[in-house]
Amino acid sequence: MRHEQLTDDLQEQASLYAAGAMTESERKEYARHLEEDQCAVCLSEVNELQSAVSMLAFSAPSRTPSPSVQQRLREQARNMASGKPVRSHSLLRRFWVDFIASSAAIAAIVVAFAVTRANTELRGLIDVLNSRIAQLEVELSQNRTYVATLTSPEVRVVNLAGQGLNVRARGRIFWDQSKKKWLFYVRDLPPLPADKSYQLWFVPVSGNPVSAVVFNTETDGSAEKEIDVPEAVVALKAAAVTTEPAGGLSQPSGPFALLGAL
Amino acid sequence: MDERAEKEDRELILRMASRDANALDAFYTRYNRVAFSLILRIVGSRQDAEDVLMDAFWQVWQQSGRYDSSRGKPIAWLLTIARTRAIDCIRSNQRRQGRTEEFEADKNPAAGPAEPDSFVMSDTRRAVHEALQTLPEQQKIALEMAYFQGMSHSEIASALGQPLGTVKDRIRNGMLHLRKRLRSYF
Repeated sequence: MRHEQLTDDLQEQASLYAAGAMTESERKEYARHLEEDQCAVCLSEVNELQSAVSMLAFSAPSRTPSPSVQQRLREQARNMASGKPVRSHSLLRRFWVDFIASSAAIAAIVVAFAVTRANTELRGLIDVLNSRIAQLEVELSQNRTYVATLTSPEVRVVNLAGQGLNVRARGRIFWDQSKKKWLFYVRDLPPLPADKSYQLWFVPVSGNPVSAVVFNTETDGSAEKEIDVPEAVVALKAAAVTTEPAGGLSQPSGPFALLGAL
Repeated sequence: MDERAEKEDRELILRMASRDANALDAFYTRYNRVAFSLILRIVGSRQDAEDVLMDAFWQVWQQSGRYDSSRGKPIAWLLTIARTRAIDCIRSNQRRQGRTEEFEADKNPAAGPAEPDSFVMSDTRRAVHEALQTLPEQQKIALEMAYFQGMSHSEIASALGQPLGTVKDRIRNGMLHLRKRLRSYF
């Protein structure tokens, strides 16, 4: 809308615009009024007031820019005249400042993310290692027991030989008589199917065999068992391993797999 | 600002519109110091001020074909462009650095001593100095906060703890005072 005459209110608006004192939204709207409406009243007032306020530049202390500014300006104008691409030095400098600042910020975020992820992975690894340590401590305790048993002068060693088709199998019992324990080791005894089990027997000098342990071997044919020798078992003549139905029986029924005399 | 100088300035603008690089050079030689002084007063940093100075003269070069003499003298046109770009620069820096404190350009005027002006420039500088001395202090403060710091009327009112209407009145009256005292110079 074009105004017909200058009012105090219009003059105030022109003053605020010329001084740069309008808010951004006001400035945009007023600039649109000047450019699109081509309001002669407001344009005339703004032109005069802008010329007046621009004189404030002469109130600033007089300073001289470095000669390089003029040289860059000349070069830029020559490049434009000759059709070469024109690059704004200031824009380039600010671009690189912004780029470096942005890159630094992005790098910091990436590092923080990587550190956080690494910390999470490290914590997971620590948990795994702690679990493994606990497992190894149990195994170490067991091995200490085994070593103590094996090296004790009160330990008897009983060798068991493979029987029947299990000629390659062998077993060994370390009998700690003071502690009434058997440490039983088996090698190269083929694992049985799910419906069968191996069973180790105390074979007394007199009376029926007494079940010691029901077991199966690993895929490599090995087995290790720690067995308490019952109080009632005193005089033994043999140790035997038989093949039985899964879960074992109260008395041996199947063929010998291993046998050793005591 | 004498009429001969103004006439020469208009001819330089016309030549720039024809892509005469020598005209840009001459215009720059004539007004680089007053424009740089204004810009430096606003942005405070010499490096930034030189960048803004370069951008301002380049804008004059780019838009020389659209210059309308009815809008004011070439020097006023240049200084308006320079001031706008300087304000944009400090706002951009504030966004980048997250500064919220008031920008105090006067406390960091950057390096470089004042150098003697030409006679015309000296006379203009004296007239502006006198006009500002006769300007009521409150009007001067409001004008300088708007012009040199890019503050809006509401920001000025908030900063000074004054009613918005009072600030608007001061800016308007200050502008009218400057126009009255400096009319012969623009």
